[in-house]
Amino acid sequence: MNAPKHAVRAVTCPNCGGTLEVRAAGWSVNLACRYCGSILDVSRPEVQLLEQHNRAAAGFALPLGSRGRLFDTEWQVIGALKRSDAWSTWREYLLLNPYTGYRWLVEYEGDWKFGTMLLGRPEESGKTVVWQGQRYRQEDEAVLATTETVIGEFYWRVSSGDRVLCASYTSRDFTLSREEADGEVNWTHLVALSGGHVESAFGILPPEPEEPRGGGNKARGYALFETEAQAEAQAAAARGVDDVPAMLGLSLLTLIAALVLMLGFAGGSAEVRTDIEAPFGRTAEGIRLGSITVNRPWQFVSVTARANTLDNQWVDLDYSLVDRATGQSIDAYGLVEHYTGRDSDGAWSEGDTKATIQFGHIRKGTYDVFVDAGAHRWPTDVPPVNSASPWEASTYGGWGEERPGPVPVAVTVKTNTVPRGNFWTLCILVALMPAFALYRGWKYR
Amino acid sequence: MINCPSCGAALPVRGLSAPYTTCSHCQTLILRQGQAVEEIGKVAVVPEDVSPVRIGTRFHVGGVDFVAAGRVRWGWSGGSWNEWLLYAADGQTRWLGEAMGMYMLTAERADVMTSSLARDFAGGGELVPGQTFVVDGAEYAVSDVKQAECLGGEGDLPFPPRTGWAMTNVDFRTTGGAALSLQRDGQGASAWLGTWHELADLAPRALAEIEGWTVPEAMQ
Repeated sequence: MNAPKHAVRAVTCPNCGGTLEVRAAGWSVNLACRYCGSILDVSRPEVQLLEQHNRAAAGFALPLGSRGRLFDTEWQVIGALKRSDAWSTWREYLLLNPYTGYRWLVEYEGDWKFGTMLLGRPEESGKTVVWQGQRYRQEDEAVLATTETVIGEFYWRVSSGDRVLCASYTSRDFTLSREEADGEVNWTHLVALSGGHVESAFGILPPEPEEPRGGGNKARGYALFETEAQAEAQAAAARGVDDVPAMLGLSLLTLIAALVLMLGFAGGSAEVRTDIEAPFGRTAEGIRLGSITVNRPWQFVSVTARANTLDNQWVDLDYSLVDRATGQSIDAYGLVEHYTGRDSDGAWSEGDTKATIQFGHIRKGTYDVFVDAGAHRWPTDVPPVNSASPWEASTYGGWGEERPGPVPVAVTVKTNTVPRGNFWTLCILVALMPAFALYRGWKYR
Repeated sequence: MINCPSCGAALPVRGLSAPYTTCSHCQTLILRQGQAVEEIGKVAVVPEDVSPVRIGTRFHVGGVDFVAAGRVRWGWSGGSWNEWLLYAADGQTRWLGEAMGMYMLTAERADVMTSSLARDFAGGGELVPGQTFVVDGAEYAVSDVKQAECLGGEGDLPFPPRTGWAMTNVDFRTTGGAALSLQRDGQGASAWLGTWHELADLAPRALAEIEGWTVPEAMQ
């Protein structure tokens, strides 16, 4: 029997001089230095520097070289990638067992998936693919993913900034991921792993470990929020000083100040009220609601529609504010809907007979306000009127069914209103930190 | 028993089909003709790698037993791969391509070379990824084209693994995992047809022991 061979090859990073290990010697093509992030070509005996970087990569939950058992096989982490698309960032770990080959662990916000590269190709047809008799459906549009950070070794050429077109297809707990770059397509089969599985297999701490309790222990803040002020507050908390009441008082003051400011900016308000009728089967266009004057620069204008008789109906309202000076129109869509019924859980109702919309950022000036209104019925809508001629409209239905009368809607246009939505958002944001503090205080009491 | 003409070490006899062999002690490349041995030169040492296959590893696929008798290492701009020469109990030698931890087991298909696409390739024609080709009713698509050069070899081989020897390798795949590779060097072209496998599918025995790893029970 031959002596076991040394599969690990030691190399020196030509950029930073760090000692690195190639764990899949002969299979690995590129190695990204774990100390400086430089990318090296390790496919030949002489190591070549491909991309020089001077920033060590951090933030990978599984360290290079760590081992864990998954699906009855021992795996070693030999490479890690941080990738992102326009919406999210995720991490991928390349696993190796020389006797089994390569696998992937993909981590996105604490959820893990285990990936195996396909030896064949699924059959593609539009938004679905078939692999081993199973149909997988595409969920989202394909996205361009960019590799932000790489460390460790890979069996293909890697580079930070690599872009691949990714599409994924799902069927129950399984995902087929299709990646295309430079005309080459690779397919990976992914299976979701249950929570904590990877952490226990690789002996790493879960992302938010249980904190030690009791006096004298400095509470660990979320790194994201940790600031000097907070560290100070924590120190104060450790000394037994409770600053939550002060925090709440300050929050209340902030809100009052904001409200006063908002009212001040809004100034005097003017309103105009008009009763209109929204017909079924067609849209009444260009109903004039009157004119309003915005007498201070950049104000909010709100439009409230009330349709008290609304029941299992909805009214589409397209508002336009036409500037008298320029003739330019600012449009917004409003919808009043109200449904009621009875099912196995008893009576239910949805929607409201009243709906308010708000135009933000209306310039100083005089505006004519118009609305296009059309009513609809649920669950069966009134068929549309094909012709505007009165006698054709009167032959509606043909089965003697009477066309329902129009829905009366009272529309109120108000200038210089306070952006209530903004105010409530502010309330929530201001209350967030004290609420967090209260919660923590309660949890660790 | 044949001895190395350079260092005198005994040369293991694994089969009789490959004319070339290398001496594992002194890297001498030897041409065997019957009992006569001729020293041709030296071969480059194949750098130690993570491959679990070694000369002497046995496989059992589709009812046929194989043993790895030699290896050539090929390098290309995107890395390198091993090709293991397998002696088969059925008498037909196979090549086992090893790349990215996956294995492509192929047998020569001389008849494929009579097709117009293969003849065009043999004559120096270019193939590009995505191009398709039908063999035995299955559609094969070009998955990659590599310009490769020999980095070294060991064991028994049908040709001398001279360092720097260049060839063009075109890999084709089907949706079902079947593989075709067309190879062209200065002397001619050949076609190899087979399938992609994971190591476990090949029922391997007598694998290389790799430091820090345990050979899975099913493969011992």
